[in-house]
Parts: sequence; C-alpha cells; structure tokens
Amino acid sequence: MTSRTAKPGRPAALVVLPLIVLALVFGTLPMWTDDYWIRVWTGVAMWAGLAASWNIIGGYAGYISFGHVAFFGIGAYATAILMQPGYDWNFFLTLPVGAVIAGLFALIVGWPTLRLRGAYFAIATWALAEALAQIINTLDFTGGSFGLSTPGNPSTWFFYYAMLIATILIYLLTFLLFERSRFGYKVKAVRDNEAAAQSLGINTTAVKLQAFMLSAALPAVLGGINAYWITFINPQSVLSGEVTDQMVVMTLIGGLGHLWGPALGAFVLYLASTWLGAEYGGSTSYIAMIGALLAIIILFLPDGLIGLAPRARGMKLVRKMLGLSGAPGGGGAGTAPPGGRP
Amino acid sequence: MVRAMQLLIQTVIDGLLVGGLYVAISIGFSLAFGILDVVDFAVGEWVVLGGFAGVAAHTWLGIDPIVFLPAVFVIFALIGSLVAPLIYRVRTSRYARPALMALAFTFGIAMLARGTMLTTVGFDPRTVQTSLVGGTLTIGGVHMPWLRLAGFLFAIVTTALFMGFLFFTRTGLAVRAAAQNKRNAGLMGIDVKRLSTIVYAIYAGLTAMAGVLIGAIYTFTAQVGPQYSLLAFFVVVMAGLGSIGGVLVAGLFLGMLQALVTVYVGADYTLAIVFGVLFVVLLVSPQGVLRRGLAA
Amino acid sequence: MSAVEVKDLRRSFGGIKAVAGVSFEVQPAEIVGIIGPNGSGKSTLFSLLSGTIAPTSGTIRLDGRDVTRMPAYRIARMGLGRTFQIPTPFTNMTVRENLLAAAVESDWANARSRADEVLEALEITHVADDLAGTLSGGQLRLLEFGRVQMRDAETILLDEVTAGVNPRLRQIILARVRALQEKGKTFLIIEHDMELVRSVCERIIVMDAGEIVFEGSFEEVASNEVVIDAYLGRPAA
Ligand SMILES: Nc1ncnc2c1ncn2[C@@H]1O[C@H](COP(=O)(O)OP(=O)(O)OP(=O)(O)O)[C@@H](O)[C@H]1O
Ligand SMILES: [Mg+2]
Repeated sequence: MTSRTAKPGRPAALVVLPLIVLALVFGTLPMWTDDYWIRVWTGVAMWAGLAASWNIIGGYAGYISFGHVAFFGIGAYATAILMQPGYDWNFFLTLPVGAVIAGLFALIVGWPTLRLRGAYFAIATWALAEALAQIINTLDFTGGSFGLSTPGNPSTWFFYYAMLIATILIYLLTFLLFERSRFGYKVKAVRDNEAAAQSLGINTTAVKLQAFMLSAALPAVLGGINAYWITFINPQSVLSGEVTDQMVVMTLIGGLGHLWGPALGAFVLYLASTWLGAEYGGSTSYIAMIGALLAIIILFLPDGLIGLAPRARGMKLVRKMLGLSGAPGGGGAGTAPPGGRP
Repeated sequence: MVRAMQLLIQTVIDGLLVGGLYVAISIGFSLAFGILDVVDFAVGEWVVLGGFAGVAAHTWLGIDPIVFLPAVFVIFALIGSLVAPLIYRVRTSRYARPALMALAFTFGIAMLARGTMLTTVGFDPRTVQTSLVGGTLTIGGVHMPWLRLAGFLFAIVTTALFMGFLFFTRTGLAVRAAAQNKRNAGLMGIDVKRLSTIVYAIYAGLTAMAGVLIGAIYTFTAQVGPQYSLLAFFVVVMAGLGSIGGVLVAGLFLGMLQALVTVYVGADYTLAIVFGVLFVVLLVSPQGVLRRGLAA
Repeated sequence: MSAVEVKDLRRSFGGIKAVAGVSFEVQPAEIVGIIGPNGSGKSTLFSLLSGTIAPTSGTIRLDGRDVTRMPAYRIARMGLGRTFQIPTPFTNMTVRENLLAAAVESDWANARSRADEVLEALEITHVADDLAGTLSGGQLRLLEFGRVQMRDAETILLDEVTAGVNPRLRQIILARVRALQEKGKTFLIIEHDMELVRSVCERIIVMDAGEIVFEGSFEEVASNEVVIDAYLGRPAA
C-alpha cells in the first residue's frame, strides 16, 4: 500500500481475475450441478436482485419501504396475465410492462409521502401492499384468491440464466447510477441532509421519486421471471408480506447502503433458509427467526456483515487500483466505517 | 324507506362501537410515537397477543377474560418495559440513520411476535370466550350487543384516564414536554429514557387489553396483526402523528367508514378504501385532518 | 438592478416574530455585513432569502426576479448560494464527495479539479477521504464554506462561517471572499467578529428583534448610540 508506483499488470489481475473466476463458476453452473442446486442458485440470484432493489430506496435514498412486495407482485401478475391464453404475449415483452406499472404505482404512492418524514412513507408503502393483496384477491382477471397459472415451462437453466442476468444488470445499473454518477451524489446528499441539498440546487422531491420508481421497477422484472418460473401464482405467494420482510432483512444483514450488502445478505440468508427448510420443514418459525435476526443485527451490527470487513482500507485500495478515485493516493488516513459508534 | 333508514342507523352505530376499540389501540400508540419518535410496527401484534392472553386465561386458567384484564395489562406492561429501552437505544444511537434503524427494529419485533404465535398456535381462528357480558341491548330497533358496548365503554374510560394522566399529572407534563422537544426536555432534567419506558409499557398493556376485547368480538388468527397495525396507522395519520385528541375523532371515523363500506360496498373492499382515504389525507393534509400536534 | 431586493419581509414562529418587516437592497458585487444580538433574526432572514423557509409575508427579488415562496432548489439554481450557521455536512459521504455533491447542479465537468483546488485552499486535503461525520467543528465550517464555493453562485450568503476557525484560515477565507467579489459576486455576511466585519464589509445592516435598526458604514455603525446599546455594548466604566 505504501508503494504508489504499482506495476500496471498487478492491480488489474487482482480485480479482474476473481471476476473471471466468478463468471466462469456461475456461467457454467448448470453444466456441473443437478437441478436442485440450480434452483437454489436461481433463488439466490433472485433475492440478491430483490434486496439490491430495496437497497436503492432504503440504503441510498434513506426511506424505508415496508411494501416492496407490491412491486414484485405487480410484475408477477403483469407477466402471468399477459401470458394467459387469448393474450399470449411473448414472455420477455411482459417484463417491461410490469416494470412500468410498478414504477407508476411508486410514483403515485411516493408523490405525497416522499415529501414527508420517513414514518409516513413506511406506513404508506406498507398500506399499499396490504391493500393491493386484498384487491387482487377480489378481482376476476387476476384469478382472485385462486390465482393464475403461467403456460409452458422452459428448463431450469433458462430461469437460472434469466435471474442471473437480470440481477447482474440490476447491480451494474446500481453501480453506475449510485457509485459512479452525478445522480448518486444527489440521492446521497438528499438522504444525508435535505435542507443542505436543496440549498445546492437539488430538487430533492424529484430525486427521491426517481430513486423510488427505479427501486420499484426492478423487483417487478424479477417478479415477472418468478411468475413464469413457479408456473402458478396467487396473492399468498407473490404478495405475501414475507417477501418484503426478506428484502429488508437481507439488505440489513449484508449492509444497508452498501453496493454488495444485499448480495451478501441474500447469499447468507437464502442458503441458511434453504438449509433450515430442508432440516425443519416449518416456515412459521422462519418468520420468528428472521425477525429476531433483524432485531439483533440492528442492535449489535448496524453496518451489517460488510461492516465486519476491513472495508475502509480495502475499498480505498481497490479504488486506487482501478484508478477510479481521481485522487493520486491520499494520505492513507484511516477512515472509520460509516455508522461506527465512537 | 324506513328499513333503509334503520339499516343506516344500525350501520353507523355498529361503526361507532367498533371505532371505540380503534381509539383504544391507537391512543397509546400515538403517544408512544410522540415520545419515542418511532412508529411501532408491532402495534397490531400487541392486539393479537392480548387476544391470545384472553384465550389462554379461559382455556388454561379457567378465568373469565374480562376479569383477567388487569392481569393482561400488568403482563404486557412488563414486556413493554423490556422492549422500550431497546427501541430507545436504537433511536438515540449514533448509527448512520437511527430513525430508519428504529423503524426496522420494531418491524423485526413484529415479525418475531407473529412468527412465534404462528409457530405455537398455528393458523386456526380463535375467539375469546366470556360469560360475563352477553346478550343484546335493543333501542328503537337498533341492536347493540352488550359486548360491543362494553368494548366502547372501555375505550372511553381508557381515553379519559390517559388524558387525565397527560394533563393532570407531573409525569404527564413531562411526557408532553419530551414529546415536544427531546433535547430541551433532557436539559430540564427530564429522564427521557425512563419516560419512554413508562409510556411504552402503558401503551403495550393498554393495547393488549383492547386485544382481549377485540378477540371477544371478532374471531382472530395469529396472522391478523398487520391488519390491526394498518388500522392504527390510519387513525394516527388521520389525527396527525403524535396528536392525542385527534385520535378520538379519527378512530370513530374509521369505525364508521369501515362499517359503511362493509354494508354498502362489500367487506372485500374495506382495506382498499381505507387505503384510498389515507392516501387522500396524506396528499391534502399531511399534518393530519385536525392539524394539531401533541401540544394542543 | 439590485442583486437582492427585499420588501417588508416577515416571518413568525408561533408567537415569535423572528423577522418583523425587513426591507433592504444589495447591489451586485457588494459585500454587506449583517450584525445583531443573538436571536435577532439574522439566520432566519438567510433562510427566507434562500427559500429554506417560507415567509409569512413580503417579497424577495433576486436580480430583479421575484423568488418569493419559490422552492429552495430553484432559488439555488438561479444563482444563490448559502452556508448554514449549524453546519449541514452529508455525514455519510467523504469530504471530497461533499464538495462534489455541491457541484451536481452547476459545473459538473470540472468538479473534480475544482474540488481539489478548494481542498487545497482550505487546507483540508489530508481529510479529503474521511467521512464528513468525523470532522472537527472548525473543519465542518470550512467544509460548509468549501461547498458554497463549489456552487459557483452569483450571490452568496455566509452565516458565521469563520466562527471557530483559526486566525490564519480566517484570513484565507476573507481573501477568497475578496477575490470572488472582484469577479463580480455579491456577498451577505453574518458575523459577530467586528474586526472581520470592519475589514471586509462595505456596508453594514444592524438587526434587533427582527427589525433593521440601523444601516451604514462601519464607522457610522460603531458610533451609533442605538447600535451600541443593542449590540456592541459600552466599555465598562
Ligand atoms: N425553526 C424555528 N422554530 C421556532 N423558532 C425559531 C426557528 N428558527 C428561529 N426561531 C426563533 O427566531 C428568532 C430568531 O432566530 P435566528 O436564528 O434568526 O437568530 P440569529 O440572529 O441568527 O441569532 P444568532 O446570532 O444567535 O445566530 C429566535 O428567537 C429563534 O428562537
Ligand atoms: Mg444565526
């Protein structure tokens, strides 16, 4: 770390090599594992994407959405409905439709509430999800409480790649928008101090709305893929509050507001829940368990698992190697992890 | 024509009686928000837990749940006084975003409570059995079950006691001061943490007691917590977060709205319409319909 | 045309009339000082000008355009920059990111190099990659001043920006203000340090209890009975 004249080959290898290994491992996964594990990893990919979408509004914009399942469900229903006999849409074309509808719902809910304190937003999003589940229960074209089935079902690897690619795109988008662009600065400025952000010319309400709409559109895409995958959806499955619960818990376990936090949280929790499900079979105790986990994480590890990593120095190092930081090396002063208690 | 009129009156009365219970579950909740500055997402779980305490009193102890009410208060006040310091700790911590973390914390507590109840008692519907209050009072063709009247009475009495506590006791004054400005209250020697614990304990005990009555009137399952949370949210948002007086009006209004929708539109649409009204309120008058803070 | 023109501006909080009928004008490239006792409404006046809070009544014009009741971000985009008396750092961002965030609505293309310049000038380069939440009180003021510089605003409001800053850096801030004035920028400066007010302000507005009680040059202000009674105080004995 002391030598600033790093050989050009070394840093690139350090960052690119692991990425290549990861790409190879996940890219070829269906070739060397059985269906069970492909399905497990499809699940990990989906939850990593869902948690990452939630992290946009919860972590980057600083507003907690307790109704994110609504957007997941909207995407699922958009795909399922459009693929019904009679409409017969192409699966891929249904995904953007769900995303747009979810974004519109976010606009409608966010518009009055994102100007207010976070508690109002949390309540309103939560109410949206509850109300939506009830409405869909009563409507005809959604199949009511019985639900809808989606026609045809491609192989497991199709869904594996669909989820994986969707989630990679979500991460890429998050990375570019929030870690590498002007928009990211705006969102974080608004989160950290709204009055100051305004005095700098930032239209805070618009910025929050944009972040929320994005955060809502992405899970709709995953919801659509999921609807096609599980071949049968109803309000109990794709509009269940537990979906939101998991997004929140995974993000917080991994690290709220960190790019890789949601992926880490999804990986740990999904594998753990798969294991628990296989071992004990019950899902109600799982709700109690993740509730307790959430409370414990907040009390003792508010920065999530990522906070345990020697992040500050590590990230500086990586940034320097990628040449992204613009700064020619800084003084190497130790940076406390965000949220660390003095 | 006369029958239509009668139905309307009956519906409104039904609504008001239920509304009383909504007041009872929202009033402590509103005050707890005022002092802790955290929306407690576990509010509905306190209601359901109270309901199960009522069932347990009847089936295990053979005590009539109505008689058991004071014990329910004590038990849940004790549990509440264990939870409150934790919420306070998160809310006042130096974390990056204490307000968000505290919200998520109560959300986790709610999940823990719900999951535990589902695991231990399952999904079966239950009712609280009481033999003390039964029958129906009929005045001019309008039927009022005594049980609902008792629930309403309970709501009125607790609200009055609560107001008395807030406005006529020294602790109540301190609570109001702290809800207004935590830093100033602290400077004046008020122990905000202790006050929060007291208020949260009272709130948990009160809400659980209301839960016993609600459980006697309606069947419930371990899953319905979120619905009661939603109703409580509706009431306090209508009232303006932290406003006590507004809760009374908003709670009764919610009961009526719900009864009217159930009779004239259909029970399936209540949540959707409740949400719709909430949305409009947030849009036009985010400070609450009554536009009054705790100080009023 | 005046850079700032305020007519009969009022704002009360509950019963307190924080600003009670204030009118004044500031010409382009002028540096005007605002002094007055604690609680006399100076910071509130700034918040009204910048749109952070809405006035009860009265009008505000910026370069001749009526900006009364406009949202703060639009006023900012019209060329107003301000600092806050109580620093408002973006606590979970680094110092450098704080500066960059200040440029998102102005010259973004050159933001990085300008941030480096500002860090250098304010001597906070060594903490550039630390989180703003970890800065000392004085450093926070410097950051507050640094952010407003990143804005490239035409009219700049500085609220006690040198309080708690060491004397040498204070001189640097003043030099910066003068340099920007040369480029035609207008300043309104709230200060309690009379020496500083004397050295940089061309005209001084004295506030008391929400009103302007006197307006004039430093010498006029320093010798005015009203000002001495309300604010400066008399030497003992
Ligand atoms: N947001 C607010 N709510 C209620 N009262 C306020 C608010 N902001 C300011 N005040 C009151 O308005 C009056 C003027 O305050 P202001 O901050 O403008 O004073 P100031 O002249 O800047 O004082 P100082 O020199 O101490 O900074 C004070 O009495 C203050 O208590
Ligand atoms: Mg001031």
